[in-house]
Amino acid sequence: MTHRTLSRRTMLKSVSAATIGMPFLEEMLGSSASAAPPATVPVRAFNVFFGLGIPAPLQTEGFEGVMEPLKPLREKLLIMRGVDHVRCDEKGINAHYDGATAAFTAEPPDGEAKAGGGSIDQMIRLAHYPNGMPAGMVPTLVGGTFFRRSRVGRYVHSYNLDGTVAATMQERPRDVFERVFGTVVFAGDPKDVFRQRLQRSVLDTVVGQYKFYTGENSPLGATSKGRVAEHLERIREFEQRAYAMQRKVDGAPDLPPDSRLLHGGAADPGGEGIDITLEELTTEWRLMADLYALAIQTDRVRFGSLTFLAAGERIRLKGDYHYDGRQVFQFDDAAQHKKSGSGGCSHEWWHKFNEKNRNEQLRAHAHMKLNEVAYFLKQLDGANSVEANGRTILDNSLITISTESGDGRHNDVKRELSGVFHCIAGGGGRFKTGHILDVNAEGLDVYNTMLSGMGVPGKLGPKGREAVSIDAIRA
Amino acid sequence: MQRSSLAVFLIIALPGSGAGSAVVAQDNAARESRGLVALYDFSEGSGTTVNDRSGVGQAVDLKINKPDSVKWSSDGLSVTQSTEIVSQQPARKIIDAIRKSNALSIEAWLKPTNSKQAGPARIVSISKNSSERNMTLGQDGDLFDVRLRTSGTSTNGIPSTSSPKKSLQVRLTHVVYSRDQAGATTVYLDGRQVAKGKASGNLGNWDTDQKLSLANEITGDRPWLGELQMVAIFDRVLSAGDVQKNFAAGSKAGSHSAEERAAETRLTAQRKVFDTQIAPLLAEHCIECHDPAIRKGGLDISRRTTALIGGESGKVITPGKAAGSVLWESVAANEMPKSRPPLSAEEKATLRAWLDDGAEWPVEVIDPAIYLHEGHAGEVWVQRLTVPEYIETVRSAVGVDVSKEAREVLPPDLRADGFSNTAYNLTVDLKHVEAYGKLAEIIVSRMDVLQFAGKFSKSRKLSTDDTMRDQVAAMGKWLLRGPLSSNEINDYSGIATTVASAGGDFKDAMSYVVEAMIQSPRFVYRIENQHGDGSPRSVGQYELASRLSYIIWGGPPDDSLMQAADRGELADRGKLEAQVQRMLKDSRAIDQSLLFVSEWLNLGRLSSLQPNPERFPNWNAELAADMREETLAFFKEVAWEQNRPLAELLSAQVTFATPRLAAHYGLKPGGKELARYDLSSVPGRGGLLTQGSVLTIGGDNASMVSRGLFVLHDLLRGTVNAPPPCVNVVPPPTRTGLTQRGIAEGRVANENCGVCHVRFEPLAYGLEKFDGIGAYHEQDKHGNAMREDGDLLFPGDAEPIHYQSSAELMKLLAASDRVQESLTWKVTQFALGRPLIAADAPVVGRLHKAAQQGGGTYSSLITAIVLSDLVQLTRVPY
Repeated sequence: MTHRTLSRRTMLKSVSAATIGMPFLEEMLGSSASAAPPATVPVRAFNVFFGLGIPAPLQTEGFEGVMEPLKPLREKLLIMRGVDHVRCDEKGINAHYDGATAAFTAEPPDGEAKAGGGSIDQMIRLAHYPNGMPAGMVPTLVGGTFFRRSRVGRYVHSYNLDGTVAATMQERPRDVFERVFGTVVFAGDPKDVFRQRLQRSVLDTVVGQYKFYTGENSPLGATSKGRVAEHLERIREFEQRAYAMQRKVDGAPDLPPDSRLLHGGAADPGGEGIDITLEELTTEWRLMADLYALAIQTDRVRFGSLTFLAAGERIRLKGDYHYDGRQVFQFDDAAQHKKSGSGGCSHEWWHKFNEKNRNEQLRAHAHMKLNEVAYFLKQLDGANSVEANGRTILDNSLITISTESGDGRHNDVKRELSGVFHCIAGGGGRFKTGHILDVNAEGLDVYNTMLSGMGVPGKLGPKGREAVSIDAIRA
Repeated sequence: MQRSSLAVFLIIALPGSGAGSAVVAQDNAARESRGLVALYDFSEGSGTTVNDRSGVGQAVDLKINKPDSVKWSSDGLSVTQSTEIVSQQPARKIIDAIRKSNALSIEAWLKPTNSKQAGPARIVSISKNSSERNMTLGQDGDLFDVRLRTSGTSTNGIPSTSSPKKSLQVRLTHVVYSRDQAGATTVYLDGRQVAKGKASGNLGNWDTDQKLSLANEITGDRPWLGELQMVAIFDRVLSAGDVQKNFAAGSKAGSHSAEERAAETRLTAQRKVFDTQIAPLLAEHCIECHDPAIRKGGLDISRRTTALIGGESGKVITPGKAAGSVLWESVAANEMPKSRPPLSAEEKATLRAWLDDGAEWPVEVIDPAIYLHEGHAGEVWVQRLTVPEYIETVRSAVGVDVSKEAREVLPPDLRADGFSNTAYNLTVDLKHVEAYGKLAEIIVSRMDVLQFAGKFSKSRKLSTDDTMRDQVAAMGKWLLRGPLSSNEINDYSGIATTVASAGGDFKDAMSYVVEAMIQSPRFVYRIENQHGDGSPRSVGQYELASRLSYIIWGGPPDDSLMQAADRGELADRGKLEAQVQRMLKDSRAIDQSLLFVSEWLNLGRLSSLQPNPERFPNWNAELAADMREETLAFFKEVAWEQNRPLAELLSAQVTFATPRLAAHYGLKPGGKELARYDLSSVPGRGGLLTQGSVLTIGGDNASMVSRGLFVLHDLLRGTVNAPPPCVNVVPPPTRTGLTQRGIAEGRVANENCGVCHVRFEPLAYGLEKFDGIGAYHEQDKHGNAMREDGDLLFPGDAEPIHYQSSAELMKLLAASDRVQESLTWKVTQFALGRPLIAADAPVVGRLHKAAQQGGGTYSSLITAIVLSDLVQLTRVPY
């Protein structure tokens, strides 16, 4: 893995100070006038999603099975089993999408690009910051590494109360960096900001096309390629002038390297899946995790979500997976499935899940993803994350970790959407930690209990629904 | 241009005043070989190799694995026992060509050993094993069976197309299988159609790694026994007429013996040297003084006959012996060319080698004009849309008129080689990138995006798992003028998902997808597949649709053209011609022709012309605009309203003028606007050369040099070299007793200047009575009487033709083959967006002939151009 952990050392104070004099950023639009370094521990909530789930039977194995990577943090986490999202099944809609949209909202999706309601983090944000976030702060940071992108709910996990996405997805480390530490870019009316952001996406696609016509597979001859290459250079120049970060906040780390992974449309070739190595994947994940953690540590972000693969993700992973000094597995999905295309993707291990079998590949994939989630959580639990109350950000925040399903069989909604893995951090001592709990309750009730614990007056779910408080999770 | 070793090489001269070029053409009378990609005539007589004699690209030769299993004869190759006759490498050139064209024909002359072998027994196969193939012509008992892999058939090419039962007989048979772009298959036996079928889908899924095999499967387990006399593979459909022609030609049409082939190969190489190296060298360095008109030292080196005869001092060329050739000796000693820089060492070496190698001289006449642009010979530039093309493309594609903004923000296209659509000069700057982005935003803001998207799909779903990919594919095919690849669909669909993830809706998604597409290279450039092995091949259907539409309309294909491409109809000559005639009836064809005239005559310069106000007080911007309008209206009248031959542009006794321009010309103004004037009774005025737009080329002093050079270059395709260094090119002023004509005659008579000036200044004598801004006078400002008689020397001719008046000059020009041919060259250059090179000359010659047979009109010329190989075939850089 070509990864170097980012340090908070040079940033903590300077970044807070640097919020003064920053340009008029999108996030300032709804922010209050005052900005102060956090003398007290602020309220924070983040949703962490990983694609494909942990089948309920494997959750019973505790930290001896696929949850092993969470073991070092077990005293700071509450693992909840038996969380039921069956109410979120939408007839005729892919279960991956239903399950993924249910995560953190506990409601079925509303159409193809909206959730059924707000997500946990946004409910808390609006309750605690009704007048907006402090100046200069990113109101909601939505980031993640994912490839399957047919529907938004598969990979975006922060939603406004009306079910619309809470913030634009940042899918490259540089995007996260510029969003958090950059002093670029998009300013003005919110519609213009939306437009400017998407125009950049348009330009990325256009650049991709020009790159193709200058690349190895271009149908053009050398002379013509040279002309198109000139054009590409001019676009680069334009890109630099129009979108490059003019400066970054004082003390911010260096600009991370360009992503080596596929993004945008190229990342999801019609659901056929992509080839990727473990090294490529985890290098980017860790960089994203570092940047996201740094954004929290420097108090640039208090709410948002981080995605580790989309729901129903389709990758063909290759590479040796080591954990704790031992080789856990040698990934080679396509060869092990003996298939190419979508049939050779890791996704298929979930469809093939049978609790009577060893499910070796599924276990390895789930283990590996939880290892990456654990890496992110650890960044919030180290010396750089100790806060005014002497506890870490992990201790003081409500961090909810969930996934899309409790099984892998689309033909059995009950199995698929019940027993969905959930794990939360203590939320500043509000919730029980150090336990694995069989809550055996509806996700709505679990989430509403969490919201209540965080002092949120409103509730998720249909009006008039009789709520059941899951007191077992309260500290 | 060589496409087949079956060709008989002819030496032909270009039409016109004896001008010719090196032309190696094939005799197509015997066989139809257009689209041929591989050919085996089994004329080897012995050995273990069957040679691909198509002459197209990298030969796909075949190896006979078991020589004892075959017998060579004068008729061909008999396969008596199971063997494999297989290519050593994948048959890439065949596969690539057919994938690209989405059509093919397999032709064979064969004699089966019996009517029982089955499997099918493989006769011709591009395959991997017994169940994976691109195509196979086989024998299944008493019938022929053809399996073809398409996106609609299996990897084994099933369902197949078969000839009827008992149609196969044990005798020499001519078998042809063809499959068109729409998927229709046909089997012919001995020139007769015997079966029709369907292999729908496309051929883009052909495996590029499969080998070509004859008389067996690649794996050796489906042998076919019999005699093979010829096998040919084409990347196009052979029509019924083509099949009958080839059947009539017989199995041995054009076959050559090994000795003949060796001689032919050597001759071809020598001719190539002459065409590409010697002729340009002689044109550049020698013909200036040694042409029929000048004949310094009595030597005319522009013609084979006169060059070999020699000059006053005897023979100058001794074939096979440079050392004994005066030509070589004088060049080697730097005695020649006189008063010009000596040849480079490389040029000298080339000349010497050519003389030593026998001084092969395959043409009658060397026309220097065709070698003017040889520097661009190896280049194939992708064509960026010009500003007018961009505007028209946007208008046609999305219905938005963005002409005002585009002309404001896009940098103007600069002229090169006489036109501003010359591809190599269509560079790109940061301003282009900014402008394309800005214009994309403007365009989308003016579109009804939902209505536009609705043309391609009724769905309004954002999900790429549902309809978005299909939506993007359909919309992209229209905007980008051809089907999208799956990667392109992925990329553009990704914008929709990104929009969705940012909270946008379907309309937002469509808007941004359109914005991306209209900034993409496939919109901004006319992207074509330029890959190949150096041999021309038929362009793809969508590429051809774009070529047609940009040449005829200056814009993208319309629905009808795209649908014709979808159905593969543009490969059918009749349907193609019908499309062209339809397109020529559209007003865009007229607009595009006017753009040609505007570019050719550089009418844009009129708006920035600033004649000396003291000498020309009547000049103003309005008059300049009137002159531009006059020429455009005149062209429209001759080319479209009257549908007259283009050559009549030089002599038509009509013009169009505003009252202001009419007064300037000394005509009695009629009407208030631009009006038609009959000039048949107006002395001196009539035809393009007498219009202000052209006469102003001479500047304030009505320079005979500038005007003469215009006639020489743009109407006669003549060449002159630049004046030698240190020559004073500032003409003396006129005075009483000395007119412009007198000064010009002095230059022509000068020993140093006359060599060149005699070629062009007399061409302008007939225009002396028109002043710098086109007004007519009998006397100049000093009161000197001016003349209009002169001499017209056509390039390549020995003697000038005398004319008495301007009107007579115009008639001579209009009647000249050379002028007609030059107009063809100009229109063709504009149509192709590149200067023509020597290799184009034979094709231009043929299309010129076709255009003249069609009446010599603009429509007939455009038709001939788009039907010619210059448009039908690709130019491939490597």
